[in-house]
Amino acid sequence: MRELGTNKENTWCTGCGNFGILNAVKKAINSLVAEGVPLADIVMTSGIGCHGKIFDYLALSGIYGLHGRAIATAEGIKLANPKLTVISFGGDGDSLGEGLEHTLFAAKRNIDLTLILHNNGNYGLTTGQFSPLSTLGYKGLSTPFGSIENPFRPIPLLIEAGATFAARGFSAKPDHLASLIHQAALHKGFSFIEVMQPCVSYNNNYTELNNTVKMLDIVPANLNQAIDLAGDSDNVYLGVFVRKQLPVYNESLLGSFIPVKERFTLAQRRKMLGS
Amino acid sequence: MLQTNSLLPQMNKPKTILIGGKAGEGVKKAAQVIAALLCQNGYHVFQQDDYQSLIKGGHNFSGVSFAEEPVHTGYQKADLIVSLDKRSLQTHINDCNSGAIHCFNSDDCLQTMDQDSSVTLLGYPLNAMMKEVYSKPSNVSMAALAICFAWLGYSEELLCDTIAKEFKRDVEDNIRYAKEVFKLCHPDFLSTNLSIPQNSIPLLPGARLLSGNQAIAQGAWLAGLDFYYAYPMTPASSILHYLALKQQTYKTFAIHAESELAAANMAIGSVFAGARTAIGSSGGGFALMQEAFSLAGMAEAPLLCIVSSRPGPATGVSTYTAQEDLMFALYQGHGEFGRIVASPDSAARALTLTAELLSLAWEFQSPVILLTDKHLSESSADVAVSQVVESCSLPDEPNLTESTDTYNRYEFTDNGVSPLRFPGSDFGDDSLMIKWNSHEHHPSGLRTDSSESIKAMKDKRNLKSRGLQEATKNYQRIAVYGDSGPVVYAYGSTVLELREAAKHCSYKFRIVALIYLLPLAIDDLQDYIRDEAIVVEHSSTGTLATYLQQNLTLKIKKSILHYDGRPFDPIELALLIEEAIDA
Repeated sequence: MRELGTNKENTWCTGCGNFGILNAVKKAINSLVAEGVPLADIVMTSGIGCHGKIFDYLALSGIYGLHGRAIATAEGIKLANPKLTVISFGGDGDSLGEGLEHTLFAAKRNIDLTLILHNNGNYGLTTGQFSPLSTLGYKGLSTPFGSIENPFRPIPLLIEAGATFAARGFSAKPDHLASLIHQAALHKGFSFIEVMQPCVSYNNNYTELNNTVKMLDIVPANLNQAIDLAGDSDNVYLGVFVRKQLPVYNESLLGSFIPVKERFTLAQRRKMLGS
Repeated sequence: MLQTNSLLPQMNKPKTILIGGKAGEGVKKAAQVIAALLCQNGYHVFQQDDYQSLIKGGHNFSGVSFAEEPVHTGYQKADLIVSLDKRSLQTHINDCNSGAIHCFNSDDCLQTMDQDSSVTLLGYPLNAMMKEVYSKPSNVSMAALAICFAWLGYSEELLCDTIAKEFKRDVEDNIRYAKEVFKLCHPDFLSTNLSIPQNSIPLLPGARLLSGNQAIAQGAWLAGLDFYYAYPMTPASSILHYLALKQQTYKTFAIHAESELAAANMAIGSVFAGARTAIGSSGGGFALMQEAFSLAGMAEAPLLCIVSSRPGPATGVSTYTAQEDLMFALYQGHGEFGRIVASPDSAARALTLTAELLSLAWEFQSPVILLTDKHLSESSADVAVSQVVESCSLPDEPNLTESTDTYNRYEFTDNGVSPLRFPGSDFGDDSLMIKWNSHEHHPSGLRTDSSESIKAMKDKRNLKSRGLQEATKNYQRIAVYGDSGPVVYAYGSTVLELREAAKHCSYKFRIVALIYLLPLAIDDLQDYIRDEAIVVEHSSTGTLATYLQQNLTLKIKKSILHYDGRPFDPIELALLIEEAIDA
């Protein structure tokens, strides 16, 4: 078991759901490494917000990118070196606000990488404003009289966009979450995991979540059932909603070619251009 | 003392063909086919297109100017005009040189109009002939080709071979139609055709017709381009199209992303993984890439950014030319970090300069900008590609060596350039942790807010940027054309226009072409700042003139501004230069 930590002081609030996610990620990476995936082949990207600090606490190569753009950056990594296992982390605002287009297009392409959405229902690091996933009526500094927008339903949205693996975990169930991350990383195609996560400072829904989570026993038989279960407003189902095999963008583009390894030399390029 | 231009009487003005018609009629393709053929026959050629932002209808026209001497830009007035519709005839009725022939579609325009008596107007029933030949959709541009071939003195056989080679669809009908038109017009040109030799030995070994954007794409590829990310925006789009077409042979991947924001951030991901990468757009699209441009500055990502200007602001004028984005390019991005900006002054230079810039980006792990404009991007000229490629000196790509100590992405070094390593088991073992960060960071790449670290990292990046700017001295930073006379400053496609105008100006003048715009080659420019200068640019506010005065003790006698989206006609520009010199 590798520690996979860094010397960086952790600045998440005590009781933050991100601790559970961090532990689950470490556990999942350890199981991948135990199965023979070189640690050097696992890279990460993260956006900006509380979730993004996971970049500083994980001993993985990667890019701490721009708010909303980490998924696009992850796609660029995967295309240049498709041998890498790429995991991208996003918050509500990253993945479904500022970066919604990139999230949907990554799913549309079915590019082979994993997006972990830290759903804490608000913008924690900027002091609790409402997010694309905040409930109707959510009161924050920018919506003092309550949000007048309905939240997105991330899993139905991503299924419709083309994700071939979609699952939901809960930061308070790190072993289950670790298993989901492990499956997502091994899944060939775009994998999406929504992680339900209380924000202890601005949106502490821990008790409510704990009372409403239910485990999915099996992967739903069809997409309609998956969408119904994922969008259920009374029960927060945890587990895998969709798992299917479809053509993968990076393979359709590159075949077995690895751009960063199989490069023409300058002399070859000179000759080809000149002739 | 002013010197008159002694070459003037001996200079043959290039011949110009102009083909006009509706969008979708194949005007541009016909002009390109003719230009490529003239290029193969040893002529210097410049081919440019004037088109609107629409797919069918409207009015498009394409020009081909050619001569035995280099032709740097196209001419407005033509020696042969082929007007495929009434609007073309009306628009270009006065665009004729003395002795010109203006052929028109007599099925579309019944009456002849007022015209210069030295011009021969020839009407041909192009629609009626087309109806006789085609059963399927017709191609009136074949008539343009046939008329041009007859005027150039090319044979009917060459016309048929060329159509078979260049047009993949409806070859038989196209050839039949072209033959009919050729037979009809050929007698009219018996005494006037140019008798271009068809099988002459090429005067320019290896010369190929290349657009500025093709040259940019080839230059980037020469320097190792693996990925190009973009969202379509005229006039940069054809870089994306060209590289997409070359995917199989070049093993380079042109990705049309969901937005410019995606393109730029994907590009930085690919760079991180070890791929040589470029992005490109016009002003509006590049504005959307600015945040990622700053990320490249912070993360120290080598990234080539190509900006091809059109008139702005906002959507502006989509398909015309301008140089309004100089300050935008110089000050691209937020926050402080170094970059270089350079602009090619020809298609050939576009190839070498793009290669240089991508190499410099990697040597100094910095973003770099190639600034160009529609006139250079989309116009085509003959380029001796093999010669140009040979002349381009590039450093070998660095070998990545295994370091024994702990790797720090942003290690402090004597020149501010930290060792670059790539992720993956092919490039290092499990202990290699490579962290790129958009936040301010420690040498390890982990985030920091500490005052010492902020300062130290800014100093490191500034040190590196000074090295980058210094390294431009290894390359040609200015080009001077002409050996005496007043100094005229310009950059980009304006240099092409000035070089052509110099053939027609009654005074000699020297063109100082600024290839590197940031840093400005202050020391190289010292020889040219003593006299009063003329500055020529496609801008309404004179940003180049302002920029030069900010950086040089330069007295500007006259700022010639052109901002109607059109390139200068070289003869008009020659007159403006004469006026400026006389003033």
